[in-house]
Amino acid sequence: MAKAAVDVPPKGGFSFDLCRRNEMLVKKGAELPKFRKTGTTIVGLVFKDGVILGADTRATEGPIVCDKNCEKIHYMAPNIYCCGAGTAADTEAVTDMVSSQLALHRYATGRESRVITALTLLKSHLFSYQGHVSAALVLGGVDVTGPHLHTIYPHGSTDTLPFATMGSGSLAAMAMFESRYKEGMTREEGIKLVCDAICSGIFNDLGSGSNVDVCVITKDGKDYLRNHQLPNPRTYVSTRGYSFTKGQTEVLSTKITPMKEKVEIIEGDAMEE
Amino acid sequence: MQIFEYNGSALVAMVGKNCFAIASDRRLGVQLQTIATDFQKIYKIHGRLFIGLAGLATDAQTLYQRLIFRHKLYQLREERDMKPETFASLVSAILYEKRFGPYFCQPVIAGLGKDDKPFICTMDSIGAKELAEDFVVGGTASESLYGACESMYKPDMKPEELFETISQALLSSVDRDCLSGWGGHVIVVTPDDITERTLKGRMD
Amino acid sequence: MDLNLTAPHSMGTTIIGVTYKDGVVLGADSRTSTGMYVANRASDKITQLTDNVYLCRSGSAADSQVVSDYVRYYLHQHTIQLGQPATVKVTANLIRLLSYQNKNMLETGLIVGGWDQYGGGQIYSVPLGGTIVEQPFAIGGSGSSYLYGFFDQAWKKDLTEEAAEDLVKKAVSLAIARDGASGGVVRTVIINKDGVKRRFFPGDALPLWHEELEPCNSLLDLLPEPMST
Repeated sequence: MAKAAVDVPPKGGFSFDLCRRNEMLVKKGAELPKFRKTGTTIVGLVFKDGVILGADTRATEGPIVCDKNCEKIHYMAPNIYCCGAGTAADTEAVTDMVSSQLALHRYATGRESRVITALTLLKSHLFSYQGHVSAALVLGGVDVTGPHLHTIYPHGSTDTLPFATMGSGSLAAMAMFESRYKEGMTREEGIKLVCDAICSGIFNDLGSGSNVDVCVITKDGKDYLRNHQLPNPRTYVSTRGYSFTKGQTEVLSTKITPMKEKVEIIEGDAMEE
Repeated sequence: MQIFEYNGSALVAMVGKNCFAIASDRRLGVQLQTIATDFQKIYKIHGRLFIGLAGLATDAQTLYQRLIFRHKLYQLREERDMKPETFASLVSAILYEKRFGPYFCQPVIAGLGKDDKPFICTMDSIGAKELAEDFVVGGTASESLYGACESMYKPDMKPEELFETISQALLSSVDRDCLSGWGGHVIVVTPDDITERTLKGRMD
Repeated sequence: MDLNLTAPHSMGTTIIGVTYKDGVVLGADSRTSTGMYVANRASDKITQLTDNVYLCRSGSAADSQVVSDYVRYYLHQHTIQLGQPATVKVTANLIRLLSYQNKNMLETGLIVGGWDQYGGGQIYSVPLGGTIVEQPFAIGGSGSSYLYGFFDQAWKKDLTEEAAEDLVKKAVSLAIARDGASGGVVRTVIINKDGVKRRFFPGDALPLWHEELEPCNSLLDLLPEPMST
């Protein structure tokens, strides 16, 4: 097939045309850049009326904290949310992709999405990339068949559990769950335990930090508690801040372009004359 | 050698009250040898939307051409300019498409959205978006820029103060990075006008 | 300490299938690990394929789940086309087909067990390369190496249901005691002409073997009473 004359927007899928060049650069001694990771603590548990998901809000690039308040609980469907750990671009892309597939499926069937559908779509995508798409997910939701909580590993394996943790802080968080989780917890008990599990990740795992995000899903709807706890407020900000007076910076040249006036087109008038 | 260190760059964008500023250094180098001291790293998409591309210059220029192309297609089809949020998603999608063979580029996007609300955003080289309400940084000087901006930034600055703050943050950061510097390029955008300034900096 | 948390999710397992007089008993432990970390201590490695055929999975969790999902899907179609339940032999051959055709990609050893009206209770073992072997009993996973001698001695033809289940339970608990990659609870599935029975034996209800300690909440309870002053 002849190559199209112009580089039209692709329909989807990955493009591998820079792989050979990049491989050559690596061979010549270039080091590939680090990708943004969410070296994370993410958790989920099943309580009396549904599912609670929790996440910390730190994003890292190697040892640098590049976002102090990022969102790791992703929307999948109105009744399904998904926490993501691993390479940030992968978790974001894979959850966005599946949530759009779920939306189309809802339009086609006119029914609420099921958690198992989301699970199958996620695992089949991850399995087909054999762990190269590194997304570790905690998927939770409530559908007609009740509350569900699953974990999905980058290689495409899944587990179904009453409580789950993932990411680099998963050990710290799992310690809280293993010692305090009970069946049939109330909403308040559940949120408290999720927060404590995330906090144990925030304080004991270097890859996790900042604030606690919580998402409670019941059959009556969801409650996204963004920054539910702020255990690490800024302490070093000076009240006045630094102020720079005008003209402190040496400027070599200045060019001011005024914005174009917005042309108001009155019906019928613009084309006349 | 880190691939980002091949050409060297420093990029920063900050939000003010109904305005934003985006700034870059002006050096283009090949490792430790300086090739040009008037290199453009900030590109205009349209009057209210700018993108800075840090990283490998060859990829930055290629990516810029593809972005301009896609934005023109959008303009033809939709008869309007892209919103900054839409443009950020486009950049993210273009970068993620090359997940397993990426462009070695870190974009910094800044624009004025609906109701003159400023929007800034950065990504890694495979399109993981980071939306911020205060400032975003990129390039080889990003570590020192994080520190400088973290202490110099104040919310709701006026355009004049925003210019001084971003310039001081940029200049103080590039002085601690061998691979970027040679003056700066600052663009301040308000709903009424675009002010482009070149800064005097150390030439060593 | 390198926990190797990024390692693929795998089941260093003990899985067992045993035929008895009227059918088969399948058994498995419940530990799933990533490197040194126990990712799931209550996993279910005995997966249902059809009403009368179950599958014990070992090796890579992702690979074995995908194989079982595909086989379940094929069997649903097959059952509809045939108008009667799929036989154990057909099931085992489907699994073999997938394992053999994708042997470069897959890292999973499986034991199929079930009952059908033609062959009665049957066990098929499908190890790594995609071989298929019908056996009166089959053991698999990392814990199986501790069990070969035990089975040579303990397995008899035409056991009763109780004796067969006891054998499986005993064998899995022996393997759990010796194999670090196996642990948790023992799950069993009994399949015969009357249907399927699923059972589960928690870790503290298993027999204790050589030098094993009674379960206790804290290791401090084992220490002698502090001297009174």
